[in-house]
Amino acid sequence: MPAELPSQVTRTREGRPATFLEAIAEALWEEMERDSSVFLMGEDIGAYGGAFKVTRGFLEHFGQSRVIDTPISEGGFTGAAAGAAHMGLRPVVEMQFMDFISPAYDVLTNYIATSLYRGAGPLPMVVRGPVGGGKRGGPFHSQNVEMAFFHTPGLKIVYPSTAADAKGLLKSAIRDDNPVIFEEHKGLYRAPHCREMLPADDHVVPLGRARVAMEGDDITIVTYGLMVHRSLEAAAELARDRIRVEVIDLRTLLPLDEDAIVASVQKTGKLLIVHEDTRTGGIAGEIAIRINERAFEWLDGPILRVTAIDSPVPFSGELEDYFLPSVADVVTAGRYLVNY
Amino acid sequence: MHGDVAALSRDVVQDLIYQGFQARFLEGGAAPPGAAPFRVDIRGVVMARAMRHSSDGKGDLCCPGHLAPGPLLGFGATPLEFLRHLGRKGTAPAAARSGGSSWTDLRRGLIGWDGPPGTMTQVLAGAALAFAQRGQDRAALVFEEGSAMETGGWHEGMNFAAARAAPLIVVLDMARYADRSGKGEVDSVARGYGVAAAVVSKEPYPGLFGTVATARRRAVQGRGPTVIGMLPRGESDSAVLHDAFVAWALAEAGVTEAEVRTIERAASAGVDHAFSRLSREPEADPHDALVPVCAHEVPQPPWTRRTPPNPGWRAAGEPTEAYDAR
Repeated sequence: MPAELPSQVTRTREGRPATFLEAIAEALWEEMERDSSVFLMGEDIGAYGGAFKVTRGFLEHFGQSRVIDTPISEGGFTGAAAGAAHMGLRPVVEMQFMDFISPAYDVLTNYIATSLYRGAGPLPMVVRGPVGGGKRGGPFHSQNVEMAFFHTPGLKIVYPSTAADAKGLLKSAIRDDNPVIFEEHKGLYRAPHCREMLPADDHVVPLGRARVAMEGDDITIVTYGLMVHRSLEAAAELARDRIRVEVIDLRTLLPLDEDAIVASVQKTGKLLIVHEDTRTGGIAGEIAIRINERAFEWLDGPILRVTAIDSPVPFSGELEDYFLPSVADVVTAGRYLVNY
Repeated sequence: MHGDVAALSRDVVQDLIYQGFQARFLEGGAAPPGAAPFRVDIRGVVMARAMRHSSDGKGDLCCPGHLAPGPLLGFGATPLEFLRHLGRKGTAPAAARSGGSSWTDLRRGLIGWDGPPGTMTQVLAGAALAFAQRGQDRAALVFEEGSAMETGGWHEGMNFAAARAAPLIVVLDMARYADRSGKGEVDSVARGYGVAAAVVSKEPYPGLFGTVATARRRAVQGRGPTVIGMLPRGESDSAVLHDAFVAWALAEAGVTEAEVRTIERAASAGVDHAFSRLSREPEADPHDALVPVCAHEVPQPPWTRRTPPNPGWRAAGEPTEAYDAR
C-alpha cells in the first residue's frame, strides 16, 4: 500500500475495522479514484482537511482542481456545483455543518430539485455533511435538516446509521443521477460501537431501501440515523420484559421505503416512530399517514412517536439531554404501546 | 475593450440581420394566448452571437435570462421553439413545465433561467469552472437583470467565479431598474472582484460584438470573468436598433440590399410559419407532463388522481368492494 495514503481511507485496505467517519472518507476516496468526474467542494476541505478531517490528504492526492476550498458562501458554491453537474461533472459538496445548508435552500429547492422537471436534465450531485445533536454544539451546529427538504420533489435524502451503510449509500449517492442530500450524524463519526469491518469489494447500498436492524413481532420501531442505536438499546431493555421489537432502519428518507414499513406493521400491528428531529412536521407525521392509507386495518393501537422537543437545540448540556429523545423515552413509549 | 471587429465576418453579419428580423417579426406578431408580453433587445442577439456555437454539446453555454428570445436566437433557436415554449404547448421543451421565457438545451449550449436574480450567475460560474477543469475552449455567458447586483447570491457567484478565474461573462442589463444603473457602479463592483469590466450602451454593433468576443478570449485564456454592464438605450424600439445595424452592414460590411431583402423574406416566412403552426399544436397533457422529478424513476401519481385509497387488507392498488360500491 502506498505510504502516502491518508490513514482514514485505508482501514478496509488494511483489513481493519473502520469508523463511521472513515467509511465516509473511504467512499469519497474510492469514488474519486473510480470516476474522474467526481470532485469535492466545501469550506476548508482542502488544506485543512475539513472540520472533521474527513478529507485530510485528499488535496495532496487529487489536486486543487478536484478538491476545491470554497469561499464561505453555501448558496454560491452549491449553485456552482449545479452548473458543474450540468456539464457532466459529479460534485460532492460538503457543508461544514448541515446547519449551514440554509443559505443554499433557495438554489437547492428552486433550481437543483426542479432541474429534471424543467427539462434541464438530471443533476448528479451530493450535498453531504454532519448533522445532529448531543455534542453540545448548540442551535447552529446540531440541527437535523431532512424535513426542510423532504417536501421538495426532485431531491433524495439519505441518512445512514452504520459505517457500512454510510460507505455503501454514499457511493450510491455519488453515482445517482439525482441531487442527493446526505446526512451524517456527527455522534456516529468516531463512536466506538460503530466501528466495523467494511466489505472489501465495491460496496454499494441501493438508495430507497430500508433494512431490518432487529427482528421482532410485538411492535415496530421505524427510525434512522443515531436513533437506530438508541432504539436498539431500548429494544434490548424491552426484551428483558419479553417484548420483541422490530427495528426498521430507513437509511433513505426520500424515496421512503414504504413497503418495508407496511410489511413490518402488518406483522406487529403496533408502530412507534423515533426521530431526533423536532416533533412538528417531522417525518413521523408522513409515515403515520402512509400507514393510515395502506395498513390501517392492521393496527392494534395508535401510532406513536418519540422525537426531540419543538425547540431550537439548546447550548446547555442538561437542556440538550432533556431535548433529545432518550432510550428511556423509547422504552416508555414501547411499553405503553405493547400494553395498549 | 472594443476590439475584435474583424471577428464580425460577413457571414456573421448576415446571421445577425436574419436573427434581428426574426426578433422584430416575433415582437410584432400576436403573442400566444396566456403568454407574457416580451420585448427583444437586439443587443442580446449580437452579444450571444459573439460566443462559439455548436450543436454537439461542446460549444459555449448561454443563459439568455430575461432577455430571451434575443440570445436564444443568437444561439440558433428557432422562432417556433420559442413560441411553443411561450405558448405552453405540449410540444414545447419539457412539455411546458418550466416557466420564464427560455429553456434548456445543453447540446446547443442553452440553459434556462430559473430562480431569483443571481442564481444563474452561480450556476454558470460552476459550468465555467467545469470547462476550465477540463481545459476546454469553452466559456459561459449569462444575462442577468441589473438588480442581480442587489442580491447576495449574485455576489457569491461572482466571488466564486473570480476566485477560480472561471471563464464566465456576465451581462447585466441595467435597463430594468434605473436606480441601480451607472457605469461607475459596474466598474467598481468588477474591480472589487479583480475581474475585467466593460459598459456598453450606444456604440455600434461591431463594438458590442467585439466587447463580448474580447471577454470570451480573455475567459478561455484563463484570465477570468468579465462583467459587462448594458446601459439603457434611448431607442426602446428594437426595430430602430436593427435598422441601424442593417444600415451599417450595407455601408461597411459588404452586405447588399438584395441580400438584406432575401434575408428579410426568409425571416418573415419562418416567423409566419411558426405562428401558423403554433395554433395547431396541442396543449400540454398533465399526465404526461407532470412526471418525472427524479431520473430513472417513474413516480406513482397520487392515488387521488388515479385510484382510490387502499385500506390495506388487499394488495396495494386494488380498490376494496366497499369503495367500489360508492
